[in-house]
Amino acid sequence: MRAVAVQAAPALPSGLFDRLVWHWRYNPKLELWIAWYAMVFFYNLFGVVFVGMTRVMPPPKPWWDMPRVVQWFNDNHSGLLVGFGIIFLVSGLTAACNALIGYSMRRMSISRAFAYSYIAIYSVSALPGMLLTAIALTVGAMRPDRDPELIYWLYDMGFMCFIGTMGIFLIGTFVWMIAVLIDKNRVLPKWFGYLNICNLITEFVVATSWVFKQGVFAWNGAIAFWIDTAVFAVYTVAFIVLLMKMIKREDFGDGPLAA
Amino acid sequence: MTEAVATAAGARFVEPDERIGRSNAVDYVPGQTDMWVFVLVEALIFAAYFITYMICRVQDPELYLRSQQRLNVGVGVANTLILLVSSWFMARCVQSAREKRYDVALRQVLSALMLGFLFIGLKLVDWSRMVGEGLELSTNEFFSFYYFLTAIHVLHVLFGMVFLGVAVYQLRSPLRRSQEIVETSATYWHMVDFLWVMIFALLYVIR
Repeated sequence: MRAVAVQAAPALPSGLFDRLVWHWRYNPKLELWIAWYAMVFFYNLFGVVFVGMTRVMPPPKPWWDMPRVVQWFNDNHSGLLVGFGIIFLVSGLTAACNALIGYSMRRMSISRAFAYSYIAIYSVSALPGMLLTAIALTVGAMRPDRDPELIYWLYDMGFMCFIGTMGIFLIGTFVWMIAVLIDKNRVLPKWFGYLNICNLITEFVVATSWVFKQGVFAWNGAIAFWIDTAVFAVYTVAFIVLLMKMIKREDFGDGPLAA
Repeated sequence: MTEAVATAAGARFVEPDERIGRSNAVDYVPGQTDMWVFVLVEALIFAAYFITYMICRVQDPELYLRSQQRLNVGVGVANTLILLVSSWFMARCVQSAREKRYDVALRQVLSALMLGFLFIGLKLVDWSRMVGEGLELSTNEFFSFYYFLTAIHVLHVLFGMVFLGVAVYQLRSPLRRSQEIVETSATYWHMVDFLWVMIFALLYVIR
């Protein structure tokens, strides 16, 4: 067991490579740190692909006519293919994020049902969260010779899925929120439990993007996209930092975690 | 940690349950500080909504003014009074719990809860009247904001009612009775009230 092995571990060496080897052999939290770094790597890559490569964020205009949409696919042809190719390769990394969040709930003084529910719900979150969009827009980019009506349809489908389908996140966030608020082991702070309400409400707000094609409630609007994205960004940074602190505080016991 | 130890350590912290019966003893932040952090974040989010609303409004003031006149101000005023009275009940509840008058505190939080139900009931009646008159989410930009802001607020009221339910649960048994939880619930409920006053002013009053 790693917990036993660490008892006999030699002192931490000074060289970078030696330190990595030491951690690989003796660090009892190695798996947790791998999951955490995988999560950080994934979210950074997600940002680079969706903002820099595919130009899906910030979203293009929902009110564009058919020729303009076809032109958008042509303009972003390479970015869409390469960017979403990367996403198809690394989308499994979302499992590391879900596992770590599930772990946080397993460490709490609550029923295991919370962690299992969360992991079960979030195991399909990548689909509405990014994969449906990636598939629709990749198909559009790879078949430029098809009927523009179809390309137009794929464009709508891609962005409506990306911005507007948040039910899974809503329930998952709710489960985590309840877990944090009733936990007595102080694994995560109560303010984060309350912050889940903010993220949860944004999942309702995005529903407006199905109704409106322009204005603040459309899929690129100030309310449905920009404010929601800002809330999500704050929420994401908060839980990434808090999970890092949780790993540092982890004692592999089952009582309250030290501050 | 006792109050004496806390003071000796230079802190102003007092265990929540020690606050009961000490309404004027020390200065402290009511409820969990975590809830105040949340209130701050919510205030920022709603401020962003309100600023967006005002920016849209100044671009077409005629439309907003014309649309505003289709709202039932009476219902808006009634809802404002309902939430204000409800908030007052909650403030009284906190005070009663501090004085260990738990039966009174329980009645007061239940009154606040009932008024919450009344608020939502009245809102549903108002929405159905408006939809009946053909005033829907997509009728124009003003009504989009109207339904959006009031619906998001109703969601907060529903969450608030859960918090009040927790306060009821706490007050019912001598084994639970955490003053901190009661104050935390009250803090959330006051925020819901405060947000409604802002929404009422923006949608119904401002000309």
